[in-house]
Amino acid sequence: MNSVIQVRNLTKRYKDALALDGVSFDIEQDAIYGLLGRNGAGKTTAMSILTAQNLPTSGDVRVFGENPYENARVLSRMCFVRESQKYPDDATPRHAFAAARLFFPRWDQGLADELIDDFQLPLKRTIKKLSRGQLSAVGVIIGLASRAEVTFFDEPYLGLDAVARQIFYDRLLADYAEVPRTILLSSHLIDEVSNLIERVLLIDDGRIIMDESADDARALATNVVGDAAAVERVVNGREVIHREGLGRVASVTFLGRLDGAERAAVVADGLELAPVSLQQLIVRLTQHRSAGRPGADGFGSNNSGPDSSGTKSPTTNTSDADTQEGSLR
Amino acid sequence: MTTLDSGAALQHQVPRNRMLNVVRLQFVNTQTFIWVPALVLGGSWVLSMMIFWIIGGAGVTEVKAGGGSQAPLWYFLAIGIQAMTMTFPFSQAMSLTRREFFLGSLAAASVSGLGMSLVFVLLGLFEQATGGYGINGYFAYLDWVWAAGPFAAGLTYLTATLFFFTIGFWFATIFKRFGALGLTTALLALGLALIGFIALVTFQEAWPAVVKWFTDTGALGLTLWAIPVTGLLAAGSYFTLRRMPA
Repeated sequence: MNSVIQVRNLTKRYKDALALDGVSFDIEQDAIYGLLGRNGAGKTTAMSILTAQNLPTSGDVRVFGENPYENARVLSRMCFVRESQKYPDDATPRHAFAAARLFFPRWDQGLADELIDDFQLPLKRTIKKLSRGQLSAVGVIIGLASRAEVTFFDEPYLGLDAVARQIFYDRLLADYAEVPRTILLSSHLIDEVSNLIERVLLIDDGRIIMDESADDARALATNVVGDAAAVERVVNGREVIHREGLGRVASVTFLGRLDGAERAAVVADGLELAPVSLQQLIVRLTQHRSAGRPGADGFGSNNSGPDSSGTKSPTTNTSDADTQEGSLR
Repeated sequence: MTTLDSGAALQHQVPRNRMLNVVRLQFVNTQTFIWVPALVLGGSWVLSMMIFWIIGGAGVTEVKAGGGSQAPLWYFLAIGIQAMTMTFPFSQAMSLTRREFFLGSLAAASVSGLGMSLVFVLLGLFEQATGGYGINGYFAYLDWVWAAGPFAAGLTYLTATLFFFTIGFWFATIFKRFGALGLTTALLALGLALIGFIALVTFQEAWPAVVKWFTDTGALGLTLWAIPVTGLLAAGSYFTLRRMPA
């Protein structure tokens, strides 16, 4: 595999915030990446710097082996339409697509026309008068029809209804099969895109905390449900990233898988093993800041036997994973 | 994991004409680049004509020259501002470099300025031929500007459009990059520099010399001076834009 993008020690500091904190990662050619993470985690900043729309504070970015900054040779092979993209005041979607046709060498007008039809986009209305969904459709159409070798979609679905989003996913996959290329898709609708993405880059607080194939990511965590005491015996010594309790029943998510023998033992104990969806995993790994309840930390670090949270009350108890991210990095 | 071999990068040449396509991108804003300037030019011409007619009706027969032809020039400040603020973010979505965007925008302004200058020269020639529409009223044909002939007058007009465009573009870039505070600081610094110049000339009691220089240099001479100044302004704009985030 070729890596089309190489990022080393990339740091971006805004006046009062550290948006990217020395991140390093590679993007392989011809794959669909999910760039996931919470709002403000640094996703858009990363994409902006990769496309030279923004400048790094320090660190090194290579795209097709070159620095993309002011580099037409590299930039002409990339496409990044922002979620908050601004268009010229008088521009209609027709103008925007005509411009894209001028600047993207692999632009496919046939595909663009089909997509315009799919999204029922009015071509002659000025863009500033479009609805939020129609505005997103303009960006999606440019992103897909440009067929750029590296294409970025930053939350491309804002305002799109479920049907329109499905059109986007279907079209993306179909066209990707026809013209393989590298796609980075940032999204909060992780369940919706989890079947689309081949690799997961999880960014949290300016750092990459997961860089895995989607399949490996799904296998990262296991959920076990059943009698609280029995569950605690199973997870003892493991890295717990989430636990919920209801009376005597506990549901605990931990990092890692059980081997055959362990599985058999768990089933014999009357416990249930459930897969952890990508969305659940990512929520559990990145929810540390919003949890913010006093005393909610510490599950990951001590891992010591049964915790009162499973048994103390019939209320649902949620914990965070403050200390877990290090083990994944 | 292997890195890209350099051959793969070399196979990809920069697509041609990206800069010229920026001109087409800018002209998407037909309102900014064509209709409003045409309206300003036409409107100021009509108003000037009406004023000449009123003055003529009052029995004044000597040469009447208005400053109305300046209006479209000033409008290039607005064009400069809009070319920057409206189109720069979209140019980034089109994967353009800042350099391509800047030079292309300048080319677009030149096209607009050339068109304006052409209308100006043709009007001036017509006024010259008809003795100011037969009522001795001049909108485009100003003695001082036309002293060195129609070509020089056209050059003066074109240079003025680009001069104003570049100022508008630079100020808009400063505003976008450094915010209102940055722009205000820049304007204050400019004001200070002007006052410094005025103070210098005043203390040296050099005003007559300055006035004489302007008169001696003439419209063409001033235009030739304005070209490098516009070049400097353009360079300033470019270096402000160069490291600006989209």
